[in-house]
Amino acid sequence: MATEEKKKAISRLKSTYPLRAKVDESYQKSVEAMRAGKPAAWAMVNWWQGDPILKAMDVEVVYPENYGTVCASAGIAESYLDGADADGFPTHLCGYSRNTFGYTSRMIKEFGGEIPPEAPMGGMPKPVLLLASDAICDARYKWFQALGRYMGVPEWTLEMPIPGVKELFMEGVYERCINFMVKELREFVTFLERLLGRKMDWSILDETVNTTIELCRVWHEVNELRKAKPCPMHSRDFWSAMPASLFLLGDVKDSLELYRDMYNEVKYRVDNHIGAIAEEKYRLAFSELPPWHSLGFFDRLAERGWNFVIESWAYHPPIPIDLSGVSDPLERIARLAFQWQVGYFEGAVKEREYFGYMGYPYLVYAREYKYDGAFLHPLITCRSASTHLKYVQEMLMRKVKVPSIVIEGDIVDLRLFDPADALSKAEPFEETMEHYKKVRKEEGFDW
Amino acid sequence: MVAETKGLARAREIYQDRPRRAKELKAEGKKIVGYLCIYSPSEMMTALDLVPYRIFGDMKEPTVEADRGLPAAFCPIMRSCLHLGLKGSYDFLDGMVVAHSCDAQEKTVHVWECLISPPYFHFLDVPGTVHKASQDYFKEGLKDLKKTLESFAGKELSSEKLKRAIEAHNQQRSLVREMYDLRKPDPPLISGTETLQVIKALMSIPVEEGNELLKQVITEVKERKDGPQKKPARLLIWGSTIDDTSLIEIIETAEANLVVDDHCGGTRAYWTDVELTEDPIDGLAYHYLVELRCPRTYVDAVYGETSKDYMADLESRFGYIKDYAKGWNVNGVILQSVRYCDCHGFETPQIKDYLDSLGLPNTYLEHDYSEGALSALRTRVQAFVEMIG
Repeated sequence: MATEEKKKAISRLKSTYPLRAKVDESYQKSVEAMRAGKPAAWAMVNWWQGDPILKAMDVEVVYPENYGTVCASAGIAESYLDGADADGFPTHLCGYSRNTFGYTSRMIKEFGGEIPPEAPMGGMPKPVLLLASDAICDARYKWFQALGRYMGVPEWTLEMPIPGVKELFMEGVYERCINFMVKELREFVTFLERLLGRKMDWSILDETVNTTIELCRVWHEVNELRKAKPCPMHSRDFWSAMPASLFLLGDVKDSLELYRDMYNEVKYRVDNHIGAIAEEKYRLAFSELPPWHSLGFFDRLAERGWNFVIESWAYHPPIPIDLSGVSDPLERIARLAFQWQVGYFEGAVKEREYFGYMGYPYLVYAREYKYDGAFLHPLITCRSASTHLKYVQEMLMRKVKVPSIVIEGDIVDLRLFDPADALSKAEPFEETMEHYKKVRKEEGFDW
Repeated sequence: MVAETKGLARAREIYQDRPRRAKELKAEGKKIVGYLCIYSPSEMMTALDLVPYRIFGDMKEPTVEADRGLPAAFCPIMRSCLHLGLKGSYDFLDGMVVAHSCDAQEKTVHVWECLISPPYFHFLDVPGTVHKASQDYFKEGLKDLKKTLESFAGKELSSEKLKRAIEAHNQQRSLVREMYDLRKPDPPLISGTETLQVIKALMSIPVEEGNELLKQVITEVKERKDGPQKKPARLLIWGSTIDDTSLIEIIETAEANLVVDDHCGGTRAYWTDVELTEDPIDGLAYHYLVELRCPRTYVDAVYGETSKDYMADLESRFGYIKDYAKGWNVNGVILQSVRYCDCHGFETPQIKDYLDSLGLPNTYLEHDYSEGALSALRTRVQAFVEMIG
């Protein structure tokens, strides 16, 4: 009985379930197709640069980053981490990468390239391509390069230019970045055609890109609705729904329809003042990735009135831009991805906040989503998702008097997160949030 | 002020008090421009009569100030640099040119720009690959840097001036290689500790002054009779930045001579010249993106290859290590990296595979860039030296 009540602390969206189920189902289908001999790629999150192209070329894709969360949730990651340690990879490296090394080592050395029997969700079949990305962190191409120890699989690294906040606004820089990305994408298509021995169907790519752009727009609009008080959608639903956008997992057209359903449900809640938790006492932002192995933790916080209303910039779709006048699908891809990367730079440069992508959006979110506190979750083995958090903490206090709570953890290694210890800090942080509500009021803020 | 000491003594003097000469130059009216790693093209600064000055950390100081902007589980070298920046140790800098070399540095410099706000600050994006489009993009980025540097310096940077600066820096590269050649004999004529002092001095003073210093050092070392002693182990050290002689001294007080290195406080900045192209920025772009060897850059053995041969891949990435090993008659390799360095961390098992394939004994040391780490390192270095001795 008590368990049932706890489960209800967060009122999950009904529309999340079919979306998630569709994603899981299509993932299973992909794995089955790969097992049956269809070409498979392992890809990093590439912010819509590579995924539409792979889909248009009819390549099945699995995502080792996402698979890291699957292994963590299934409790199997520990053995793969041990395998990576045994193979000489330093223990401070990205937990997702170490999970992949351990998995791949076992697949190649112990099972001759076949999927290990314990692998959750069907496993990751041996690929014909490793699609890396240099966006956000070095690990995301160094990691695939290191897989050369186990598999003679070619790697392609997608380029994501990242000029400085001020430098972006120098004459010609924006378009130069787009041109660079388009050239690289064209090279990638040529490479894929050579690898697969077949030509790109540009009409399919055109349609896939358009659907992707619309999917990102609808998903953005869903999240815009969360500015309402009470917030109608909790971060748990965001994370459950995120893979259909972030990884383009599943059929893009199906996902688009399901995101539309989600929009309608969230809109209904907004119109009827229905919150994601029973009594919203505190609105919070969550950064970075959550402890996938301990998501029940959020139910306990929901019981205390903590509603998580917004998450890290990196996992959100870009602020929509009109790309209808761009005829080249590769250029549309480039502009969509680059908008994600630099979409907040204009505000950042005005406010002289030079951590324009990973840091500054939190300030925008604070003002728009009017959150009372930021729950910062530095990931011990993911520096890129953690580097900016100290700065975010300082900036939020300096600019908008929003306090932060810092609870360390990890994306894969569950030994690094202690839910009981984290919960013990909730009450004192509530006092802090109450204090700063008063401070903000005194200083003229409207929340 | 004219230096009274010369050669190795002068290098040691600068090493021990790096800001002193920079502050003297500043007092004379020069502008001092800081940079964090070797991906910032010093030639452009030199050509505009600016003094490029490399920002290093200090492993002897706890990095308490860095807590304001960076997490604890983070590159300890970047933490140390930011710590020194926040406590004012680099307040004499007039500006900074920072490059997107590794991810840790890229993110640190954004924090630096926000929290310290130097009067001039330029961020240079560096692509992750060496594709043709990447080279073109990087070249245009160098042109942007040229524009902001010109504005900062208040003068135009002509191709001729830039070519002369490239020549001066190429001369420095050539002299550094000549200095490293003095480590080929057995025993080497100059120690690893002395070499690091010279390199760090070079990164603290104007290029012409550095070239004069190098000439003095080379002459002195060739003439002196009290150089390093012959020892059974001749080692190469590889990995993340070494900017303090403590680690080198640990090796050289064991039964080993450190005869060559591969890190960015050693050979990496000096091993190839910048080609003097008609448009000098072409040469700079190629050198800084393609020729500098740091694991931060992704390189294929063959561009766009549709199959991968692991040993060919290793050869293309680490073949130069074999050349070092042969040229300097190396019989052991120390792989070292600071904790939380992803670029070197991912590389380590692969370079071990390569060294194993060559039959070169090697060991991996991980440390946290602090004095506290040294005693444990000493034990491991001694054990390794005994093993290969």
